[in-house]
Amino acid sequence: MKKRSLLVFASLMIAALLMLTACGGSKEPETSGDDSSDQGGKLVFLYKDMEIAMKEDAAPILEALGEPKSYTEAASCAFEGLDKTYYYGSFYLYTYPDGEKDRVNMVVLCDDTLSTPEGLAIGDSKEKVESTYSADGYNGVNAYVYTKGDCTLTIIMENDKVSSIQYGAVFES
Amino acid sequence: MRKKAALRIIISVILFAVIFFALQRLLMPKYMTESKEGAMIQEYYQNAGDNDVVFITDCEVYENFSPVKLWNEYGIPSIIRGSAQQMIWQSYYLLEETFRYESPSVVVFNVMTMTYDSAESVGDQSKMEAYNRMTLDGMRWSKSKVSSIKASMTKEEKEKSGIWSYIFPILRYHDRWNDLKEEDFRCFFKQDQVTDNGYLMQVKVNPVKDDYPRIPLVSYQFGDICYEYLDKIRLLCEEHNCQLVLVKAPSLSPIWYDEYEIQILDYANEHDLLYINCLEHLDEIGIDWNQDTYDQGLHLNVYGAEKLTVYFGQILRDECLLQDRRSDSSLSEKWTEKTRLYDQRKERMEKERDQEADIQP
Repeated sequence: MKKRSLLVFASLMIAALLMLTACGGSKEPETSGDDSSDQGGKLVFLYKDMEIAMKEDAAPILEALGEPKSYTEAASCAFEGLDKTYYYGSFYLYTYPDGEKDRVNMVVLCDDTLSTPEGLAIGDSKEKVESTYSADGYNGVNAYVYTKGDCTLTIIMENDKVSSIQYGAVFES
Repeated sequence: MRKKAALRIIISVILFAVIFFALQRLLMPKYMTESKEGAMIQEYYQNAGDNDVVFITDCEVYENFSPVKLWNEYGIPSIIRGSAQQMIWQSYYLLEETFRYESPSVVVFNVMTMTYDSAESVGDQSKMEAYNRMTLDGMRWSKSKVSSIKASMTKEEKEKSGIWSYIFPILRYHDRWNDLKEEDFRCFFKQDQVTDNGYLMQVKVNPVKDDYPRIPLVSYQFGDICYEYLDKIRLLCEEHNCQLVLVKAPSLSPIWYDEYEIQILDYANEHDLLYINCLEHLDEIGIDWNQDTYDQGLHLNVYGAEKLTVYFGQILRDECLLQDRRSDSSLSEKWTEKTRLYDQRKERMEKERDQEADIQP
């Protein structure tokens, strides 16, 4: 009888252990960068020949860019690390914390002194957006949205002119 | 003989259950020193009952309003049911649960929550999952908790273990055995109170440096799901004869766009709700962005929160007609003790802050 109850107890413990090992969950769910929208190319912002890609380590980029005109930071509720915003006169660069590193989260162009590597700038026409990128990205309301790999390029229109150009990191939903 | 065998099996099962649940309890994070926000939801049950005002939503309430100050200035007992990045469906189910514990006269809902309509709107999904755990794990089991879990789970959570990891949190936290800290053992049976009736105190000063950029958005429209739950919250309050007050806390970031304001004003007008946008009353409140924030204007520190509470208390008294209940001796006794703990916490944190400042060059 003792054996039987020991057997029951042991079975329960083994079942529990199997349940725990089978689920194989990690402490923090992993984020994967890529998705089906990656068509082989990539969307990056170029500033003075320097490539600024989303989710890249921000440290070397910030060092190369030099002193920003202004800087703000925001802590995420309950999490360590800061979301940082650097302003360089003609564009904003946003970073997010990823462990010890800060990574590029977003680049927002502020005026027409800069353009995308493909040649689009604030103030350009709807036709130019479509000839430069494609008409496929139109959301039917006020913006063109193109996603490739880790980056979404958002072009906001106002009165048929480009009013904002934003590169943003893609996070898995 | 058969009886004996059955008894042994029952004892084995009980023994297993005790070990299993003890292990589970040990491995679950206690949130006592890091990410204190994770401990807030469960603290409610020790302070539930006899509150005239319930604040719900996220850091824009639990770091900006001080219930102890509200009591001491106006004699209005209140509590905050806040948690980090609380989504509107979580607010609804928390409120549904709250009405089972007490009958507040006023519910204060912070409208910034209307801008988050999905896990993606929060950022990467691992963060959202962690936020979900901080709000949901602390809730006691009820129909509201089950509904909140179902409404909140991220895609990955649904694909992995679904609701089971909430029923048996050990499925989620089993690999914490390597990261166990002293607090996991010390707080095995009873956790420390990290808040004062839901208010998470901050005493540091970190002034606003620059304006936050107002980046244009593709859409400023609140999601349908947010309106759906705001309607549910409103109807739930009506059902319980409780006044719903909409508030926008004076946080400078994330940006509260004019397009958001118009939508809230429309909603408030349509349903005859009181709406206070504190960003438009900064001078009346007396906020000094050089002194009253601990994180450059995202949230107030205790000095700013006390100023905001004094301002907001007038509205609760004059417009919501809440009575001063300081003459109620048992309530008064309870709040005297809360005030003592609040003052003690403030003094200790100020001391720690000053010591830290002395150490830093």
